[in-house]
Amino acid sequence: MRYVSLQKDKLPQFVNSLQKKYKVVAPVKKENLFVFATIEDPEEVELDYMPTILPPKKYFLPQHEKLGSFVKDNVAMADTNIDVEPTVLFGAHTCDIEGIECLDIVFHDTPADPYFGRRKKSIIIIGYECMKPCDEYSTCVTMDTLNPRAGYDIMITDIGDKYILYINSPEGMGIIGKNPIFGKVENERDVKTKLLKLREDKVKNFKVQIDADYKELNKIFGTSYNSKTWQDVGKRCVSCGNCTAVCPTCYCFDINDEVKLDMSGGKRERVWDSCQLDEFAMVTGGENFRKERSSRQRHRYYRKFDYSVKKYSKFFCVGCGRCTRTCMADISLIETVNELAKEHKNAK
Amino acid sequence: MSQSKNKKVRIALFDFADCEGCQLQVTYLNDQLVGLLEHCEIVNFREAISERSDDYDIALVEGSITRKHDEERVKKIRENAKILIAYGSCACIGGVNGLRKKFTQEEAKDIVYKGREFPIDVGEPRPVHEVVKVDYFIYGCPTNNEETIKALKSILIGKGYTPPRYPVCVECKLKENVCLFEKGQVCLGPVTRGGCGAWCTSYGNTCYGCRGLLDKPAQEGQMDILKKNGYTLEELKQKFETYNLCRMMGEQNATEKS
Amino acid sequence: MQSKLLKKEMTIPADFLYSPRAATIVKTKQMTANEKFFEIKFDDGEPLGHEPGQFIQLSIFGIGEAPVGICSSPTKEDRSTFEVCVRKVGTFTNALHKLDVGDKLGIRGPYGRGFPIDELKGNDVLIVAGGLGIVPLRSLINFIIDRRRDFGNVMILLGCKGPKDRLFTDDMKEWERMLNINYACTVDRADPDWKGNVGVITTLMPGVHIDKNRTYAVVVGPPIMYKFVIAELLKKGLSENQIILSLERRMKCGLGKCGHCQINSVYVCKDGPTFTYAELKGLGEAL
Repeated sequence: MRYVSLQKDKLPQFVNSLQKKYKVVAPVKKENLFVFATIEDPEEVELDYMPTILPPKKYFLPQHEKLGSFVKDNVAMADTNIDVEPTVLFGAHTCDIEGIECLDIVFHDTPADPYFGRRKKSIIIIGYECMKPCDEYSTCVTMDTLNPRAGYDIMITDIGDKYILYINSPEGMGIIGKNPIFGKVENERDVKTKLLKLREDKVKNFKVQIDADYKELNKIFGTSYNSKTWQDVGKRCVSCGNCTAVCPTCYCFDINDEVKLDMSGGKRERVWDSCQLDEFAMVTGGENFRKERSSRQRHRYYRKFDYSVKKYSKFFCVGCGRCTRTCMADISLIETVNELAKEHKNAK
Repeated sequence: MSQSKNKKVRIALFDFADCEGCQLQVTYLNDQLVGLLEHCEIVNFREAISERSDDYDIALVEGSITRKHDEERVKKIRENAKILIAYGSCACIGGVNGLRKKFTQEEAKDIVYKGREFPIDVGEPRPVHEVVKVDYFIYGCPTNNEETIKALKSILIGKGYTPPRYPVCVECKLKENVCLFEKGQVCLGPVTRGGCGAWCTSYGNTCYGCRGLLDKPAQEGQMDILKKNGYTLEELKQKFETYNLCRMMGEQNATEKS
Repeated sequence: MQSKLLKKEMTIPADFLYSPRAATIVKTKQMTANEKFFEIKFDDGEPLGHEPGQFIQLSIFGIGEAPVGICSSPTKEDRSTFEVCVRKVGTFTNALHKLDVGDKLGIRGPYGRGFPIDELKGNDVLIVAGGLGIVPLRSLINFIIDRRRDFGNVMILLGCKGPKDRLFTDDMKEWERMLNINYACTVDRADPDWKGNVGVITTLMPGVHIDKNRTYAVVVGPPIMYKFVIAELLKKGLSENQIILSLERRMKCGLGKCGHCQINSVYVCKDGPTFTYAELKGLGEAL
């Protein structure tokens, strides 16, 4: 059994059954936007949602992660274990799941990170497939993240009259189990064919915005390091760090000590940082190795389209469109990449 | 600063031209204040205790320095204190007191004390560091207790405290707030020094720039953002003046001189 | 238990990734107005097990961590201790300078790729140190001295701002005295007692005669120095692979993750801090 069906009106019941065993985090409305949050009532879940303000990376790489605690006059760090409440990430889009996959590669690269590892193990991912584009900023078609691939336990697809759930892991199977709310799928091959057809059709609804295909992208970045586009982007950037905070694959962090009020001890923690902030690449002597906003923006793009390919053979842009959506200065990933693509073509 | 084993660190609070709201924040520290008092003692705190002492290690100076008399007083405090902390926006950047600079002294006197005939000393409002050396700055109107505690702990352990050099937006986004520009409001977040935990914007208010202008604001980028949202530089300036006139006038003077 | 698990040949258990090992300062020396020398010993008596060119993360709880180059050679007589020399420039180093013999410290590491000793072996080595660059290079120099027969001709060129800024003056006297090492030192600005060379480090270059086919140059110094020294070395016919540099970046995690030390596609903490010029040449942010 790899597929089960679910009547649409039974979705809250499904969520409710999850809540009995897990903390369920799902997209909920926040003013006119959406955020992932722990839900109390299954009715809060908004499956028809735009990418959330912050991606679900916040559950895998929290903004503050305690690495351990210490007591005064003792150099050993204690308490390095973390307890993660068994959690279900419900309704994650395929782009966000791909983002988690990217983080997984980074944090499992030697030396593997125990904190991320433990969180990853404790979080069950139930995806929700996008059938229509979210807005004009997403580039999931070009980045090839539109369809479910890997990195989830269960994928929910809306096939019109009901949902089809694809079970991708033993954990996923454990959740579906013998729960009577799910319907049996008579012929799995038929369902598979139907889903494939659905995916073939749905892509027509998605506009391709980047004037280069997946294979060309890396070549374009190979010739764009000194492009004047970076000057233009740098001029507009206000270094607010929003693009990196909202990026599903940005993982840079800082390490800080926080002492207790009575100074008897404290904790060492890992906190989100951003390569867009002025001091990020500054050494104690004062030398700043990425002083200009243009070089910091370039660095961000190269970490998505070039450095990550060199290091992990993978693009670290998942096409969610968040960086463009959130940028007050209207720095658009699509425009930037298209500009580079144009220059690349002209130079040929 | 290094602490000897038994002696508690003596902290003194002083106020100058201000509303004393930041001192009031200290009284709101409640439990945290109790924790802090395990290794510190407060020896001057007009709002809460009647004791007075000139023997202290750390001076928290609230308010802008205006009159000649204030100047002398703050110099004396500087002499007594091992560490002097400018506490709150009036002390750090001049704060709302800077608005006085929109008028001549005579005009200001006339507006405030109209018709009353008595000699009154009205000086130029200045942030503390323009009069004496300041070791650390805790910005905000009012100061944010979370930051105050963080700064004090950090100073007490010998690490010192540098407020963030990034804009308010950094912390605002981490709180997953809907951007106020998106809601059609003028927010000073992008040009204002962060560290407040996006206090106002998390409660639906815009940022008023109370923590002062960033050290390196992106002027061009900022103008773009304003234009795009249909605002003018004048509108931004006007909003910024509330807290930052001391620096704005200062800069004006500096450019005029050059 | 921790020490055993941290032995080099074994994998570091995940929980200890960020855990510093306890160590004690056994000797200090104020080297200049701003630089202080520390000899450190692990509380469990284990050696650090480093290679010249590697770095460690020093940790003082409450203050934080800082990456520091190791200035002693792993061949040092007393292997149970190692040495660092740290300039007072920021919060952490200020706190570190206040520590003295008997005080405790935390250590993570050693991290990074050291100097390519195996390649240097059997060849001539030209060492160029500017300012604080002598810190990791002292580790290499003393390594070479202790294994002198493994190397060909050895030349040391040293530059610093003024005579008072010279670090490891005791070592320098040794090096100067040694017959099988060529040693030259220059200062940017002399003082009345200074009888040596005056001028930037490149002024020593004309006097250096090397066999370009069998010489490796190991250069460590401030960013500004690299450009000029590399140009001189290339002029002398060294290939890009024969020039070895060490970069200073803001290593935070030391594990190739946090992003602070990244230059283009490489992480200085993991891929470096030592690189050949050939490796760095194409990286826009390296030099």
